[in-house]
Amino acid sequence: MTKSIHPTLNRRTLLGAGAIALASSVTPALAQQKEVLIGAIFPLSGASAQVGVDAKHALETAADIINGNYNFDLPAGKGGGLAGLGGAKVKLVFADHQADPQKGRAEAERLITQDKVAAIVGSFHSAVAATISATTERYQVPYFSADNSSPSLNRRGLKYFFRAAAHDEMFTVAMFDFLDTMRKRGEKVNSVGLFHEDTIFGTDSSNAQRDTAQARGYNLAVDIKYRANSPSLTAEVQQLSSANPDVLMPSSYTTDGILLVKTMSELGYKPKAIVAQAAGFAEKSLFDAVGDKLDGLISRASFSLDLAQKRPVIGKVNEMFKARSGKDLNDNTSRQLMALLILADAIDRAKSVEGPAIREALAKTDIPGEKTIMPWTKVAFGEDGQNMNANPVLLQYLGGKFVTIFPESAAIAKPKWPMN
Amino acid sequence: MSTQSIGIAAGLAQANDRFHAARRRQLMTLVVVVLVISVLPLLVKDVYLQNIMVLTLMYTALSQSWNILGGYCGQISLGHAIYFGIGAYTSTLLFTKFGVSPWFGMAAGGGIAALVALVLGYPFFRLKGHYFTIATIVVAEAALVLFLSWPYAGGALGIQLPAAADNWANLQFGRNKLPFIYTALALATITWLVTWKIEDSRWGYWWRAVKDNPEAAESLGVVIFNSKMAAAALSAFFVAVGGSFYAQFVAYIDPDSVLNFHFSLLFALPAVLGGIGTLWGPALGAIILIPLTEFTRSYAGGSGQGIDLIIYGALIMLIALWKPEGLIGFFVRQPKPLPASADEGAHS
Repeated sequence: MTKSIHPTLNRRTLLGAGAIALASSVTPALAQQKEVLIGAIFPLSGASAQVGVDAKHALETAADIINGNYNFDLPAGKGGGLAGLGGAKVKLVFADHQADPQKGRAEAERLITQDKVAAIVGSFHSAVAATISATTERYQVPYFSADNSSPSLNRRGLKYFFRAAAHDEMFTVAMFDFLDTMRKRGEKVNSVGLFHEDTIFGTDSSNAQRDTAQARGYNLAVDIKYRANSPSLTAEVQQLSSANPDVLMPSSYTTDGILLVKTMSELGYKPKAIVAQAAGFAEKSLFDAVGDKLDGLISRASFSLDLAQKRPVIGKVNEMFKARSGKDLNDNTSRQLMALLILADAIDRAKSVEGPAIREALAKTDIPGEKTIMPWTKVAFGEDGQNMNANPVLLQYLGGKFVTIFPESAAIAKPKWPMN
Repeated sequence: MSTQSIGIAAGLAQANDRFHAARRRQLMTLVVVVLVISVLPLLVKDVYLQNIMVLTLMYTALSQSWNILGGYCGQISLGHAIYFGIGAYTSTLLFTKFGVSPWFGMAAGGGIAALVALVLGYPFFRLKGHYFTIATIVVAEAALVLFLSWPYAGGALGIQLPAAADNWANLQFGRNKLPFIYTALALATITWLVTWKIEDSRWGYWWRAVKDNPEAAESLGVVIFNSKMAAAALSAFFVAVGGSFYAQFVAYIDPDSVLNFHFSLLFALPAVLGGIGTLWGPALGAIILIPLTEFTRSYAGGSGQGIDLIIYGALIMLIALWKPEGLIGFFVRQPKPLPASADEGAHS
């Protein structure tokens, strides 16, 4: 710094400059006590970059709610900052994992050792969550899984892993509960057709669906695994078409989902019903592309905007998010937003930014469902860090928008069955 | 004996001396570099920087191994991820299913990879140039799909390395990065030494002859097919050893994180950037490339606007335009012309 100062400067300006330099070096140290740093590791580049960018908006909205002076009946939603830490503000530090488990691990390590984050939120990809959570465990810093859905994650005996949202098995149970209900109503629901991509998401999802279908006496009419990001799904759709199951259950990301719907339409195959494992079928871009062919599609979800009619705070939060991102909250962004609120609430109660203290506070979490933006009954973590009270909902795409159709306690419309 | 031929002999002897002196200098340089790198992690305690050191040394070793086949023998493979994956999966499966030490797994993975390279080489080395490259890409992609569909190896879910006692036998060290740095340094040093040894061996000369002009080499008695096979097996062996190391380091593998096409590129890129077919090219390339990737992602990647990738891409393009022969071009002195008599002799 001194090197760049012009030689003709006199002593007073030099002293002034020194004072400013001194002040600026002291301020961050003071400010740090008023800030709680939380790391957020998401895919911010590559094929899933959009998910990461949306996550950023969701988490920033959550930070606004925590730091701003709102009066929301949500965890950490009242007053400005965290009262337990003298009104400290939450500050997010974002990192990009590029869907690579190695990079996720390295970023977690950097955020913990360099930025001294109190906890980490992540990470969309379950494979990356596996390495991040192994790292946070070593450093005794909580990893809060916002939107990873692999059920294997909470079965590794980790003490610093927490997930408030449902995993794929819980989602699958909800989907089959719905099918059971339709059966009881006298609809013909005997066979299901699985159609899933071959990465960790599709594999986990289809494993759960296969087991549940067999356990509950559904006939597996067809079970197709396809290569993710496939250039063509013609052969696969022909198989689906000839098996023609009563319910088609796809587990696909956005681009594959669009290709599936287009190919089905080209080949003239109209499934009797579709019950999707969200992912691509929760994304706005899929419905922008092929929404006209999907009237009556059903997808599981963690979130339902219809709930805003009963809980006005959801509408307010959604408006805040929309102002940032131009989108409504969806399955992923609602979970990300909620994750930060629950985490901040725990840090507030822990009155500390130390990992073990936050962990203890998280383990004691007991938030009633009405105090969330989700359709959950409550938030309370089991020994394995999983919240088993995260009830999913089923949404149906009707007339260009999603309406909640299941469970009945949350439903605002009767399901249209069959869709075609 | 004519005076002219005496002149040639003297000139050749001189060139030979100079060549061996240069090789000794290379070796001395290695000793200095290894010493400096050994001390470095004792001074730099930051685990993030230490992590970058591990990756840089690992990619140095991997790229050096790729360079044996791609640089010296001139067979451009963009499917070396298959050997990396074989190494990672062999040691991990042996460790998780049978409790076998990863050190043995490393050797086993290397052996299997070398065998696979020979089996694949048999049909592939009948292909030339781009056709060979395409075949390597295809077979690596096939391996990726196979591993995705192989439940015993964890399928798409991958395998998490169970936390065992932190010691050298298990090659697990908790938060401590130092052992990984030294293991990676050892790996990079060994691949360098193997390459150094090869440069002045019969294989080394054969490989470079195959690369420069296969027809001329063949007319001089070089067995081209065998040369390529040997280079491929050696190259595959060390890439697989690197794969086992990676699996231990990250403690989690799935098909996409060890068999993905981008690994094949990452093995070739440092060598190409630093100087393909040279002793120091891969190391030089890795020292620039890996920290650049990591720093740009960590400190510019959080914006979500891809600035890191723009910087990264632009720098690679700049280097490619500025020094197409690789960064090594900055360091290599132009060789002095041989004495006039030898020159004349060679031309007459």
